Amino acid sequence: MKPVLWALLLLAPVAALARPVSYVGGWTLIEESNRQSTAALVHYTPSPAWSVGLRNEWMRDSDYLLTAIQPTYLLKRWFGRDYQANVYLHGGLGVATATSGNPLGSTTGGFAGVMADWETRRLFAGYNARYLDAGHFGDSAMQVFRFGWAPYEGDTNDLHTWLMLEVDHRSGLEDSVSVTPLLRFFKGPILLELGFNLVDPSPLVNFTFRL
Amino acid sequence: MSLFTRNLPICLLLTVPALALGQHEAHTSHSTHDQHEEHMPHVQEQPAQAAAEGFTEMTTTAEIEAALAVGGKPVVAEVLGVVCDFCATAMNKIFGAREEVAAVYVDLDTKALNLVLRPEYDLDDSTIEMLAVQAGYRIAAIHRNPAIAGR
Repeated sequence: MKPVLWALLLLAPVAALARPVSYVGGWTLIEESNRQSTAALVHYTPSPAWSVGLRNEWMRDSDYLLTAIQPTYLLKRWFGRDYQANVYLHGGLGVATATSGNPLGSTTGGFAGVMADWETRRLFAGYNARYLDAGHFGDSAMQVFRFGWAPYEGDTNDLHTWLMLEVDHRSGLEDSVSVTPLLRFFKGPILLELGFNLVDPSPLVNFTFRL
Repeated sequence: MSLFTRNLPICLLLTVPALALGQHEAHTSHSTHDQHEEHMPHVQEQPAQAAAEGFTEMTTTAEIEAALAVGGKPVVAEVLGVVCDFCATAMNKIFGAREEVAAVYVDLDTKALNLVLRPEYDLDDSTIEMLAVQAGYRIAAIHRNPAIAGR
């Protein structure tokens, strides 16, 4: 893979289950690496209801890089004194480009999906589903369920720690269903997730920084 | 050997540090009020008037204390949906950018937005509610009685 593509992945961060819409005027950098892809997204929030960003996603097994404009729309948010729940719609349209000597050139690619989460200070449940069509590179579908528990309630600016379990289903992979236990660390504007897939042995590394 | 058994050491490796961090954090949160009072936020002893009238008491920080000391006006807003540090970051950014605001602190424990307004300014309830929406949250109630800050 060309160094410039690596640089793009490192510099421009992917939103999944960590607040894909920020405060008005806020920028968010997100990086995600799982058993199928490594992705990065930088997004800006012009309204409490939506954000727009630039996403780079390297599909490692299929040897292509998708660079897309990604809007995310907050369909519904429920508020409570002790909880918050959200449903988001997200999509993207851009260019899929061959990497690692893949002779397939480039083509138009896009995706659409839905995300939902419910969270208190001690419990978390989330769902993310996406269908991706990258033309002659192929299409794929995935869905991810996430459950989390915090062993203590951290206050503002404390280090927050979560134990989480992720179950994913990804079409086209040999092990279509897999399980990943992970740790989420959260402090101020920084979120870091570290896990390891037990079925398809590979690390999970997610990072979010909210400016 | 099953997949679970084979990966059990990895699970333990991931889990143990988290539990250790949790214990450490729980310990410090109980002890910091006495040990680092000048740096750490703390909740005022609930003033009798505030308690009697059902107010949410203000959480003070060094910045809030300094703003109150020069005549700043305390405001405590109860916020719905505040469950994580991203919530606090969002409100700190939105409210901290306003010239009317001398100090701001979001307390996840009390689920309150603590503001001190500069003496020469005011911020009406509808503006506070609108700013909270811009941050992605919703205000349940706003208290302005000086008793919320023990004054």
